[in-house]
Amino acid sequence: MLKIDHVSKVYRVGNQDFTALHDVNLEVPAGAFMSFVGPSGSGKTTLLNLLGGLDKPTEGHVFFRDYCLDDLSREKLAEIRRQHIGFIFQSYNLLPVYSVYENILFPLLLNNEKESAVRDRVKEIIAQVGLEPETHKKPSELSGGQCQRVAIARALVKKPDLVLADEPTANLDKENSLMILDLMQELNREYKAAFIFSTHDEKVNRFVNREVRLEDGYVISDQAVESAPA
Amino acid sequence: MIRWALLGLIRDRTRSLFPFMVVTVGVALTVALFGFMDGIGSGILDLTSKLDTGHLRFVNKPYYEEEHLIPIDRALAGQKKTHAWLKKNGDPRITWSPRIRWMALMDVPDENGETKSQTPVTGIALDLLNPQSPELERLDLANSIIAGRRPNAPKELLIGYLLAENLEVNLNDTVTLLGQSFDGGMAMDNYKVVGFVKFGIVAMDQKMALMDITGAQHTFYMDDMVTDWLGYLPTSVSYKEYPELQQTIAEHLPEWMQAPPSSWASDDEPIVLTILDQRNLRPMVEKFELIRKVNVMIFAFLMTLVLWNAGLINGVHRYGEMGLRLALGETHWELVRRLAVEAFVVGVAGSIAGCLVGGGFVYYLQEVGVDMGDAMAKSGMMLSDVVRGRLSIDGLLWGGLPGITASVLGNFIASLSVFKRSEASLFRELEVG
Ligand SMILES: Nc1ncnc2c1ncn2[C@@H]1O[C@H](COP(=O)(O)OP(=O)(O)O)[C@@H](O)[C@H]1O
Ligand SMILES: [Mg+2]
Repeated sequence: MLKIDHVSKVYRVGNQDFTALHDVNLEVPAGAFMSFVGPSGSGKTTLLNLLGGLDKPTEGHVFFRDYCLDDLSREKLAEIRRQHIGFIFQSYNLLPVYSVYENILFPLLLNNEKESAVRDRVKEIIAQVGLEPETHKKPSELSGGQCQRVAIARALVKKPDLVLADEPTANLDKENSLMILDLMQELNREYKAAFIFSTHDEKVNRFVNREVRLEDGYVISDQAVESAPA
Repeated sequence: MIRWALLGLIRDRTRSLFPFMVVTVGVALTVALFGFMDGIGSGILDLTSKLDTGHLRFVNKPYYEEEHLIPIDRALAGQKKTHAWLKKNGDPRITWSPRIRWMALMDVPDENGETKSQTPVTGIALDLLNPQSPELERLDLANSIIAGRRPNAPKELLIGYLLAENLEVNLNDTVTLLGQSFDGGMAMDNYKVVGFVKFGIVAMDQKMALMDITGAQHTFYMDDMVTDWLGYLPTSVSYKEYPELQQTIAEHLPEWMQAPPSSWASDDEPIVLTILDQRNLRPMVEKFELIRKVNVMIFAFLMTLVLWNAGLINGVHRYGEMGLRLALGETHWELVRRLAVEAFVVGVAGSIAGCLVGGGFVYYLQEVGVDMGDAMAKSGMMLSDVVRGRLSIDGLLWGGLPGITASVLGNFIASLSVFKRSEASLFRELEVG
């Protein structure tokens, strides 16, 4: 479903080239639940950017579904993101003027869905992330953990093939982090969307099926994790 | 999606309130200024037409050329024939009223019959006796007569209230008019002053007298003669149509001149004028239109500028939202387009509010007026001391449409800055929250 083929990313800073990713190869099957782990600056965000069609590799290719992302126009990439990729951010990025319900509805509106046609779907996913009582609250009335659950629902509501989460637990305390990971794991099974999230937190690896370790732009290990408790 | 955007506008007042206020204020000012100028402009036209020129004027050319001397010896004979001809050859919407302009020395005697005071007066003779006469309403005599009554006999006179003060004339005093008759002889007649009029124009209130047209015809030996035929059109007819109406009449004139009425002198030659051809009104009207347009453009430009800046501030305020939307797969153009729709909505709302505020002000000016005291009256313009606005669809459109345009345009220019944002940095930007 997702394949990265000899990808390098070089940033030009002033007149210096800085290589943020060195010859990365990865293949991600549908429904995967995996993490990019590494210290800050190791290239996790850069890699997620390439996977999500937000940026293009300097060398190599990114294949998603039937597309080769590095060939596509800005507009086509936007369309692919809109339809097939969900995003979760470290700082939630909910729209403050809209309610939980409306925030989750938004990606569907972007895909030209009618509210009346998707109302039940939105309500269902709100229930799944356990926020029914908060349906009409604004983000400012929610805790950090609740906000991130809204963000997860927003990423999943359009039934994407791929969900990319950049340090989704970095702003949360331990208890909330575990709840979020738990929830992502559960929804990964339920929605059959591949989840890839970056983290520099070693503790999360007990959730994932696979862990890709990055350091200084190199993949230093890529292994399946045996014990993935429910 | 539009409903969703509207919710955002309503809930987040920083994105709507300021632009809304800017449009409201800009449109209100434009509408107010437009209506005010329109009021002054049409006030001048209206008053001038009523007292002086009509909307169209049919006059003997030799008379018109020496008009400042009021040469009644060049008046036009054949009153009835002329009236019939004008009715037949002019647009049916025109009402024609005959008038005589006259000039005389007014002599006010004391109890002993000796001259108490004396002054030259200019006067208008018009149909005042007939209770159905449209002139009564035209001069708003019911309100203009501030003492006394309307004449009901040919030799009764109305005079300006300032003239009455200056000459110490009392109601029902008899005054003597000394002037030149049609045939160049001496004309002298006694008139009874039955009322004082106030038009709010100092020049007129100081110098002017009104009498019935039959009185003038008798006093100045002008049987069946008038100096002017004034044509009046309903207010629904814009002054822009006057030249065309003038043209139709003028086209028929040569034909008539083939066999003119026998009572005309050999060099009598009537011409048709519009109000704009006289008293320097065309340049004034053109200047007014220009000022109005420039004014609208300046306001529209300033509004656009302010709204552009408001849009930029809004862009900073909603930086996170725009980034998120780009990440979620809205294209730059879709963003720009949807922001333009928001700006359109704000522009329409602001324009409506501005039209209400500005229109309300103009409506007040129109219905109540503002008494500018002597300032206007003394300016010498044919403008009464009470300045009125004029509310028109035109005025509202000229204010409202630029308001909407400015809102959309200003926002559009501001929103182009989203193109500078590259998707590649969204994750990092959004991390900051
Ligand atoms: N736009 C950019 N221009 C230059 N250097 C960049 C840019 N984005 C990231 N980098 C550099 O690339 C490296 C990897 O960054 P990043 O992918 O954000 O790491 P991580 O997400 O693992 O913290 C860092 O050293 C960072 O400074
Ligand atoms: Mg990062």
